[in-house]
Amino acid sequence: MAMRQTPLTCSGHTRPVVDLAFSGITPFGYFLISACKDGKPMLRQGDTGDWIGTFLGHKGAVWGATLNTDATKAATAAADFTAKVWDAVSGDEVLSLAHKHIVKSVNFTQDSNCLLTAGNDKLLRIYDLSQPEAPSQEIAGHSAAIKKALWCNNDKQILSAADDKTIRLWDRSSMQEVKMLTFETSVSSMEYMADGELLVITYGKTIAFYNALSLELIKTVEAPAPINSASLHPEKDFFVAGGEDFKLYKFDYSTKEELESYKGHFGPVHCVRFSPDGELYASGSEDGTLRLWQTAVGKTYGLWKCVLPEDLATENSEQLYSSTPEIKA
Amino acid sequence: MATPVSVLRLPKGPDPNSRGFDPNSPRFVALCRTSISTSAAEADAKELQREQRARSALRERFLRCLLTMTNKKVQFHMHEKVDVEATFGASDIDVLNFQVSDLHTPIGVQKEALIRCQDVISFTFDM
Repeated sequence: MAMRQTPLTCSGHTRPVVDLAFSGITPFGYFLISACKDGKPMLRQGDTGDWIGTFLGHKGAVWGATLNTDATKAATAAADFTAKVWDAVSGDEVLSLAHKHIVKSVNFTQDSNCLLTAGNDKLLRIYDLSQPEAPSQEIAGHSAAIKKALWCNNDKQILSAADDKTIRLWDRSSMQEVKMLTFETSVSSMEYMADGELLVITYGKTIAFYNALSLELIKTVEAPAPINSASLHPEKDFFVAGGEDFKLYKFDYSTKEELESYKGHFGPVHCVRFSPDGELYASGSEDGTLRLWQTAVGKTYGLWKCVLPEDLATENSEQLYSSTPEIKA
Repeated sequence: MATPVSVLRLPKGPDPNSRGFDPNSPRFVALCRTSISTSAAEADAKELQREQRARSALRERFLRCLLTMTNKKVQFHMHEKVDVEATFGASDIDVLNFQVSDLHTPIGVQKEALIRCQDVISFTFDM
């Protein structure tokens, strides 16, 4: 019997949610951090969306947020010209790194020892977290504000996407530009998958997949509306995308076929990410909410419960909630 | 007509009164370094940690014991070779007094009474 997707809405933010990131899988499950224009990034339990805590300290909109693999540290990038590092267990601010302009992106190396930041000052900065007093290493080259910067190739290289309509690959040790991709329009998002060295880029209505080492194009897929963010499933069988028409789209990666689309958000979708186990994906929107969506609709996972038709008729001591059906486009 | 997937509950939202990061959560307890100072100044840090962990575990066990005892018949073994039985009600916050009912004493049954904790050597009850 066909089941309809019930997204779980995580409320709490009071302004648009512009970025979100998952941690790796830890002994305590996995976690999700959301960046919001209200300046208060939040940490949530990844599989249920339950709020764990709010990182208080920024004095402006938070544009980027990330967690290290074991979710012990968090980093945020904000409009108050700082990037901050936090203890993600206690919620305490550990470090505040002053910049000369709005910071848009933060990313930890796999060992959590270095932090890459980027923003409107057009520079990539590398901080050694064991020596926070030491000045950061700077890489210049972009001619406009940098939207996103990520470590890649085992932290030996850096990928950056900027408003100068380019994506550049840099070598960390030489600090030199290795390759550049130019686009007709600004790239709206970039996601890197270490496993398989894949890069997922969105611009206009296109979702493009590149080899992250060679920057060779693998394939492009067109969506029905301008897309702001896309994410590839860990097993690389599907990808999801969201954008200006408020909907979430699910595509088959091999056939490029649009499989599903879901309405739910009341504003443009700014970011979408698959969980590390691929069982759900989270979306952040202009409407100030995060929503969690099941990859396999109807499966028992997290707060979703598979109820067989015969069970629905019988009296159950457990309270089951059915939200109003989401209309499939 | 497709049925919407059922949900156990909605995700918990933020607590309006705190910034969260519950210090009692298993993750916090396991990962956060303890900031409690102990009395033994000369002992090395590792020993102090072990001692503190043991103290926490014992304290937790004692508090759970008090909870389990509620409304049960408890035998109190007290000073001066006094053994009495009563139905345990509650303890005060500092564990100075136990509130009990039907206290069986050598001179009769007291309907409601307070037992002074410092007079109690030990107590037993059936779970």
